[in-house]
Order: sequence, then C-alpha cells, then structure tokens
Amino acid sequence: MSQLSAGICRRLNEAPQEEIDQLASGHTVQLLSIKKVAPTTASTTATDRFRIIISDGVHFVQAMLATQLNDLVANGDINKNTVVIIDKLACNFVQDKRLIIILDLHVVSRNEEKIGAPTAPPSTQDAPAPAVSEATSSSVTSPATSSSTGQAKPLQPQPRTGPSGRGGRSVYPIEGLSPYQNNWTIKARVTQKSDIRTWSNQRGEGKLFNVTLMDESGEIRGTGFNAVVDELYEKFEEGKVYYISKARVNLAKKKFSNLQNDYELSLEKNTEVEECLETTSVPMMKYNFVELSSLEKLERDNTCDVIGVIKEVGPLGEITSKATNRTIPKRDLTIVDMSQYSVRLTLWGKQAEQFAADDLPVVAFKGVKVGDFGGRTLSMVSSSIMTISPDIEEAHLLRGWYDGIGTEKNFQSHTSGSSGASFGGFNRNEMRHLSDVKESQLGMSDKAEFFSTRATIMHIKSENISYPACPTQGCNKKVVDLGSGWKCEKCDKTFERPEYRYIMSMAVADWSGQAWLQGFNEAGLAVFGKTADEVHEIKERNEAEYNALMAQASGVTFNFSCRAKQDTYNDQTRVRYGISRITSLDYHEEAKHLVNLLKSPWAQ
Amino acid sequence: MNEQISMRVNSARLSGVKGRTVRLPCKVLRLSDDIAIVEASDGGQVEIQRKNVDMTATYVEVIGNVVDASTIKAMATLPLDSEGELDMQLVNDVIELTFESRFDKLFPRYKDT
Repeated sequence: MSQLSAGICRRLNEAPQEEIDQLASGHTVQLLSIKKVAPTTASTTATDRFRIIISDGVHFVQAMLATQLNDLVANGDINKNTVVIIDKLACNFVQDKRLIIILDLHVVSRNEEKIGAPTAPPSTQDAPAPAVSEATSSSVTSPATSSSTGQAKPLQPQPRTGPSGRGGRSVYPIEGLSPYQNNWTIKARVTQKSDIRTWSNQRGEGKLFNVTLMDESGEIRGTGFNAVVDELYEKFEEGKVYYISKARVNLAKKKFSNLQNDYELSLEKNTEVEECLETTSVPMMKYNFVELSSLEKLERDNTCDVIGVIKEVGPLGEITSKATNRTIPKRDLTIVDMSQYSVRLTLWGKQAEQFAADDLPVVAFKGVKVGDFGGRTLSMVSSSIMTISPDIEEAHLLRGWYDGIGTEKNFQSHTSGSSGASFGGFNRNEMRHLSDVKESQLGMSDKAEFFSTRATIMHIKSENISYPACPTQGCNKKVVDLGSGWKCEKCDKTFERPEYRYIMSMAVADWSGQAWLQGFNEAGLAVFGKTADEVHEIKERNEAEYNALMAQASGVTFNFSCRAKQDTYNDQTRVRYGISRITSLDYHEEAKHLVNLLKSPWAQ
Repeated sequence: MNEQISMRVNSARLSGVKGRTVRLPCKVLRLSDDIAIVEASDGGQVEIQRKNVDMTATYVEVIGNVVDASTIKAMATLPLDSEGELDMQLVNDVIELTFESRFDKLFPRYKDT
C-alpha cells in the first residue's frame, strides 16, 4: 500500500494563498472519487470537467482536475482509489471559498483499497481535531457541502451524535439557515409562542400561530398555518428546546416580525419537531436592555428590551378597536429603573387579564414597541416576551437597588403629565412661552404638534361660548332646533332639551406674547367652574351677571397642553391652537419646580 | 425719606440684621398674651414680643424689629394659612435664594450694611 502524504489535505484546506503555491508539488494522495460535472456555461466547447476527491488518508478535500488532464480519466489512467503524486496545483479563491485545481500529476499505483479512514477536515473556523465519525460512504458525498470552508456563515460540518439516537444529525446554527439549503436541523429554544389566531378576509380564512426560536447564533421566527396548527401547536412549549428540520426557509415578512433575521421558517406538514433534552448549550433569553432614561432617543415604532421594577399596576380596562369593533382588555403598568426614570407599559389581551403581581417584581420585557403618546410609552406586541423575576444579573441588581433606595426616589416620568385620557399631558420640563410657540411655527407643517405653556386668560370671546349638543353619552354633535325638539343627525334622535357644551376662543398671554386658544368643554369647566348649561342659562337670564362672569375669568393663569394644527376655513389656512388639557396652577408644585430650576446648573 | 425695606428671614439670619425690620414666616408653637414662641422656616425657635398683635393663625408672617438673634418685636402679622400645611422647606429654600448675590438686583437689600 502506498504511503500518502498525511496532513496535506488539511494544509490545502487551511493554508493561505501564498503558502499554497509552495505546497504545490510532491505530495502523494489517493483519489477517492472522480465525477464528471456539468459545464457551468452552456458553451460550445463542451469540455468535460471532473471533480475529484483527494485524500491523504486522514482527510479529504475536493478539487477540480485541470482540463489538460481529462485524457487521464478518459483513458482510465486514473480512477477511483488511484494513488497519485501531485506535480502542480493551483488554488483559486472565489468568494471566500477555495477551489483547488490539480494541474499536473502522475500515477503511482492503481487498484488500491481506500487508504485510511479520511474525514472532512476541520472547518477553518475552529482549531480542534475533527470528530471522527461516519467514515462510511456518506462522508464522500457530504464534503460537497462541508469542505467548502471559509464561507462567511460557517456551517459546522462535524456531525454531533444526537442524543435522541438519530445519529449523524448535523446541527446548523440558525444564522446559517438560507433558502438554498434544505437538509438542515436546528436545535433551538422556543422563546415565545403566540396564541392561535384566526383570520378571515376576501380570499378565505384560516388559523395560524408563531414561534420564536433561538440558539447561540441568532433567532428566527416560525409560522404554521391551518393543518400545521393542529399538529404542532401543542408540541411546542415555551422555554423548551427542540430539534427542528424540514421546514421551509423563506424571506422574512418584516411587517409581522421584529426579529433581525432576513429569513423565517414556514412550518409544514412534513416539518419534524423533536424535543431535545440536552439543553445546556442553548442559551436562555438574550436581552439588550435600554435604560428608561434613554427611551427618548428611540423613535416611535422601534422595539427594544427593558427591565425594571413594577412600581404601579393599573386596573384592567378595555378599549374598543376601531378596526374590528371588538373590545380588547388592556392594563397599564408603570416601571422604573436605576436611571431614575419611569415609563408606562401597556399589556393587552390575555396578558392584561392574567397579570397578577401583588408585590413589586422585577420584570424583563423583550421586544416591546416604543410609542410617543405623551412622551414615551411602551407596549407589548404579539412577539414581545415578558418574564417576571428573571434569574439574570440585571434583575438581581435592580431588586437590590429598589429595595435599598429605590422606593423613596422620585422618578422622572416619560408619561409627561398623569396618564390622562387626552394625549399630550402637561410637560413642565418642555414648556414653551407664547412667542417661542409662534416663532417656531408649531403646527405649520401638516402634522399636528403639541406643546405645553403657562399663560393668563386676557379675554374670552363671549358671543359664542357654547353650542347645543346631543345629550347622548359620547356623541357631541350639534343638534338642530326643529321647534318641536332638538334633533341629532348622527344618532337620529330628537331631544326636548340639548346639553350645552363649551366651545370658546380665548386670548391668552404670557410675558412674551399673546395667542388665541380654542377650548372645548373641559376647558370651559375649568375656566368658569360651571357647566355650559348653567352659563347658557345665565346668559339668557341676566346679561350683567353673564358679563361679570366673563370678567371674572380673565386674569386667571392656567397650565395649558395644546395641539397646534393647520386648519383651512373658507380658503384661509391658519394655525389653530386647540387646548387638549387645562389645569389650574398648584402653586406649591410650581414653586418647588422653580426652586429646583434655580438650583440647577442652568441657573448658575 | 427712608425706604422701608423688610427682608424675609429665617432664624439663622436674625443675627445679621439686628435692629432692622424683617419678615419672618413661621409656625406658632406657643401663644400667650405678651409672648409667642414660633418656629422659623429653618427650624430655629424665635421669641416674638406681641403686645396687641393678633397671632391666632397657625402659620403666620411676623413683621417686626429684630431685638437680638432670637427675639423680634412684632409690629404686624399676616396669616399664611391655606388648605393643607405650609411647606416650610420650600419657604426656607426661597428665603435662602433671595440672599444669593446673583439676585441682588431682584430683591431690595438693606442700605448701608
């Protein structure tokens, strides 16, 4: 039996360009296989090309036979298991892959047995010795995929002996999945499983569910439809690890997922899912926490991970979805963290209903959506994951911090103003004075813009201070006097008496300037302290008293939260400032704030 | 004609303004016909000589002459009661701020100190 140059294959596989040129000649190898390959270009010169596997007894590598040597194959000079000495070779690097080309060789001996038990050489990414297994004929075909080392996304060619007994399953990293590879298996943990959702549109209806799968390399989303739901939904359990194979790899629909992966999996009828009991290598949740104080830097609709102590749990409420007309349960939580900021986070659906945390736990949230409702808010989406009291370092740190000093701290809120119904709560920190509002042309663009200001009422246009409105709860439409009653067009109902609602224009001023603000019912209530019905009645009854009331309201200072928007009325476009929130001054609060301001670096 | 200047003070500042007219926001601790013992915004106690001066509110601003570092002869009082307690800490912060040199132009200072 010939002596092969052991180690040469591995060198050929790993060496850089310069070294290859030196490795060129003098090595003895055995040709394990010779295969004709289809010509890459449908060219006129249909020259055969042969792909060969060369072995040094320890490893094998793929190579191409230079066309000038084609005759040797045709003549039968070289065939399976022939031992040859390489006289000349070249190595082409194509897109991170190396292609070894044998340019010249001469035969040593033929008809030998296969020498040694060569395996695929270790991938250039890791150094240690390859797992010696599967030296059967299957290893001859697998080099087609595994010996192409140096790929950008390294596939791990060493088969791991799967604990489930399905020997020889090679586990791919999730990062390495692509639509071009079908024969893969991933070992991943289900970090999130959605509810079964049904849909129905013009094209039909069906049901689906999603899972988020994670391993050391990354995450990927998997979706199963209709029949697959029945088969696989129960099989997947959150937190458990599974071997998954034979799912289809598609381009990710980024609209439905906030994961980084370009691809996603379609779970099909023939997808295999097998629970894996050896879970140590698969990591638990990977977080990338953002401090609450830096939430402002994130744009609306971004997702992020946060961790904090639940300072407040709101009551279970409901909201009616305008789109589907269905009511969805919701619950607000307030979380705080060591950056001394607090923020409101909304839970939906079952999570809102089931949330039960009497103590103030540390909760980690992954993939929550950032909103800009009144500053910054966070909201759970279907792919968000909430973990109560996770066993991670950040959680322990938070727990210690909160128990120690956190309870007394005052937190800077991202929910500017209280969690009121109207948006744009009063934000003392971002207050503008009136000349600033006008100069910065707030509301001049198409979008509505919000600001807060403190100003004194100078004058209220007393001619039109209220309008007759429909008494139906929630409907504020103007009702028409038919003589026999007042009719609401929207509700199609007639009433004996309307309910008056304020609609006022008032001139307000501060040290810098003046502006006209439009106020609605709640503004009127705050300014007059009486209902619009009462004021309307006073106006009808006693004009002097009415004027006195108007005068009394002037000269009073309020905090306003306003919405600036362009309005077109009779071909005239103007910016209108609407009052979304009006509050009387709490002198104590304001004074404290001023003192702090004076003590701050800004005032020095 | 002398401008009547009266700065708002707390108990610690009394020693610096002997003989001057001051205003002292305070909480009445003990009341008797001639004397009242009050607590100033910095927590220090001051004796108020209050013949014929009404001091029946809980929180009061005493306007009077500084006799010594712990006594004021009252000339008049202003009741400071409102809903809830008066935040003496806030009052003290304001008093201390008014004495800062950066606000010299804002608040009248005693002449010829």
